[in-house]
Amino acid sequence: MTTELMTLPYYKVNVLTGTKAAKVVALPGEAAKIIEKAKNPLYIFGPEVIDSPVGDRLLIDYALEIAKSRNIPICATAHVKRKMLELGVRPDSTYDIIEIIHFLKDKEWAGVRGKGYHDLVLFTGVRCDLAERGLATLKHFAPHLKTFAICRRSHPNADFAVPVLVKREKWQEYLSELVSALGTTE
Amino acid sequence: MGTAAHGAHGRHMIDHLIEKYGEDRKIDLGSQVNVEAPIIRTVMGLKPENLGDLRKAIEYVEREMIHLVSSTHMGQEGNYRDFESKAFHAGMLDHVALEAADIAQIVGYGLPTSVADTPLVDLGWGAIDRTKPTIVVVGHNAVTANAIIDYLQKHNLYDQVEVGGLCCTAHDVTRYASGAKVIGPLSRQRFFLKAGLADVVVTDEQCVVTDIPQMAREAGAAMIACSDKICYGLENASAREADDILREVLEKQKQYLILDPEKAAEVIVRAALALAPNRSVKKQLLNQTEASVLAGKCPGTCEACNRACPNLLPVSSGVNQARQGNFAKLGEVFLRCHGCAKCEEACVHQIPILRIMQAAATWDTYKMRSGRGPIHDVEIRKVGSPIVLGTIPGVVLFAGCSNFPGDIDDVAWLAEELARRKYIVTLSGCAAMAAAMRKDADGKTIYEKYTPEFDAGCIVNVGSCVANAHVVGAAIKIANIFATLPNRANFELMSDYILNRVGACGVVWGPYSQKALAIGTGAVRWGIPVVLGPHGSKYRRLFMSKKEMGDWTVIDGRTKQRVDTGEPTPEHMMLVTETKERALVTIIKQCFRRNDTPPGRAIKLNSYISAYKQVIGALPDDLQNFVRTEKEIPIVYKREVLAYLKEVGWQPKPVLSLPTIIGTYETKVPIEATIK
Repeated sequence: MTTELMTLPYYKVNVLTGTKAAKVVALPGEAAKIIEKAKNPLYIFGPEVIDSPVGDRLLIDYALEIAKSRNIPICATAHVKRKMLELGVRPDSTYDIIEIIHFLKDKEWAGVRGKGYHDLVLFTGVRCDLAERGLATLKHFAPHLKTFAICRRSHPNADFAVPVLVKREKWQEYLSELVSALGTTE
Repeated sequence: MGTAAHGAHGRHMIDHLIEKYGEDRKIDLGSQVNVEAPIIRTVMGLKPENLGDLRKAIEYVEREMIHLVSSTHMGQEGNYRDFESKAFHAGMLDHVALEAADIAQIVGYGLPTSVADTPLVDLGWGAIDRTKPTIVVVGHNAVTANAIIDYLQKHNLYDQVEVGGLCCTAHDVTRYASGAKVIGPLSRQRFFLKAGLADVVVTDEQCVVTDIPQMAREAGAAMIACSDKICYGLENASAREADDILREVLEKQKQYLILDPEKAAEVIVRAALALAPNRSVKKQLLNQTEASVLAGKCPGTCEACNRACPNLLPVSSGVNQARQGNFAKLGEVFLRCHGCAKCEEACVHQIPILRIMQAAATWDTYKMRSGRGPIHDVEIRKVGSPIVLGTIPGVVLFAGCSNFPGDIDDVAWLAEELARRKYIVTLSGCAAMAAAMRKDADGKTIYEKYTPEFDAGCIVNVGSCVANAHVVGAAIKIANIFATLPNRANFELMSDYILNRVGACGVVWGPYSQKALAIGTGAVRWGIPVVLGPHGSKYRRLFMSKKEMGDWTVIDGRTKQRVDTGEPTPEHMMLVTETKERALVTIIKQCFRRNDTPPGRAIKLNSYISAYKQVIGALPDDLQNFVRTEKEIPIVYKREVLAYLKEVGWQPKPVLSLPTIIGTYETKVPIEATIK
């Protein structure tokens, strides 16, 4: 599968959902490069990371490996922190999803580690309808950052999105290759 | 739109009752309620004494609504803040309409008032006795439903016919006659009607799904629409003879619009009696073997149903496992299903998924306390002081629809977690029904376990959506009765008092109607913050702060000096949370007020910390924002909290006894007015 753009309509008026759609990142290696390029990324963990199986592991295991590979700060939304503490990891922030979106809109916000605004925000495990609202908000009101939805159901309102991966094996493959690519691109 | 729905409901109800009893019919809410209409008194300066006065309240709503709707026309209001101001005005008008409508039906129909211990009524589709003729009323305007009860009683048929309700009409009809049954909330309308248990389906107004005539026809049931709001293209038979209408209903399965409630009631009851003996086969529910056959076409691979589901449910796995005779997964899906039937629409194999759910759903029955109406003045006198001091940690209202992100019984979980922490928990509408749909190990629902009196640790069902007015009214009464501040035409003072001193929080965990948004917006205008479930993000309106980075300056009412409190209370006025666990800690936090005394704040912090540890597994990360002095740290967590506060560089904050924001902006209200 090669990298492709989601279809854009010919007319850019009367399209109520907006016309700027995500770039589909089909190759995990390319996803790793996007993450690698970021100067001050942030990783948002939604509650599905703690109960979505991926192979014989949980989604949070992969998400933590991605975060760890580049020391990306984590915002644990909803009640994700509990599981993270069980796994021996303390999140950098515990704002709920709507709260962190609210702060991310503000370029002057200090960010979760006080290093200024985040230039790339990764999303995994936020329920899809809510994530889509948040991504649309950032698309329109946070031009200073890019978003990357690392979600197998894909998100048109992100700047970058994983393609729809219906089969869980493909999803596992994508995540494993992404972790692997991040491990070798440092 | 939500305000219009409640306002039109009130207008219809009041006009009907004035036609029946005259406009001089006195408002008498019993010996326990003297401040009968706190919202109308505060907003309009009117003390309503009879039905005619309630009509004046609705006329006020109508007059204002014309201007508000006009402002949305092209070329009109173009500033977002002014637009929001108008939205708040609409929300406040909504509460005027709610109060007028509920008082009218209490007065006109003799619904319970001045009594807390209302009857426990049966709830659930399993509560319907299928051997009896069954009438199901759907929507939220009980004029016709009550006429059906009157007709049954007049003809000695009350025990021979089942009357069940879906949505708020169910609340109001069970307030009128406790023998009626509550089938369930909006999310169960389509499921139940497709099951075919109703011999006659009756629609009134508001939360009614659009394909009811079609479902009734498919089930071989009669169907009568009773509101000019929902005509379905049906012939208006209001002027025809009942015998004539009935003949065509029975012989030709014709469906009609009948706007005369008494005539509609006669047709509906006689149709149910005539149809029921021949519909026993249609009332047979699918068994698992039959359901497996219907699911047989599912290849289990296309996931078209999953992709169409607005609640993101794994419908495909459920149906596919049902095909193989395992209904456990589909049962789980059913508990989270909103009944929109988009999965059926998307299914390329035309599998009747909602019908198959009959074999997966529980047919259990539950006990719900019927709606009690106004909070009593004597109750306010008892709890006013501890609420304002903070020693009763908060008043929480669960309102709105059943568009829940998780299981249908999540509201019950939230309500119980709060009630056992001694919050005053009130419920209304579909949320009040859903809260009954969870039993403990002894088979009891929260309505059977907790006191129905408005006091610490209670579970109070106020009634249908229009009864939400009584909870906001209770907050006003705290300012008026307990603090003795005048409320007549004194909105600014009342809302300032509620915002700064009454630890109340509204929760709409399953929002989807415009009415729910109107109720929530009105609550915010009164100074009551609102927590929404994740579907609330689709309203695209939130009112959020930047937490400790915001300006939290208030006036100290005693010294008249500005004080930077440094504490974000209440932190947000309207926000969405994603999970019930997060909702629990957020609701608790939203009940903090700057008026809390140190012992009161200690009790609230104890709840916050215990809940946070329970669901998130650690001390709250923002504890430093809410601890003002060391005295406020709960003893059981003292050592741990002090170590944390030291780590984050916590500094003490001022404690105020009479905080107000009057005086922080230009206003004609003097600061002295906030003190009595």
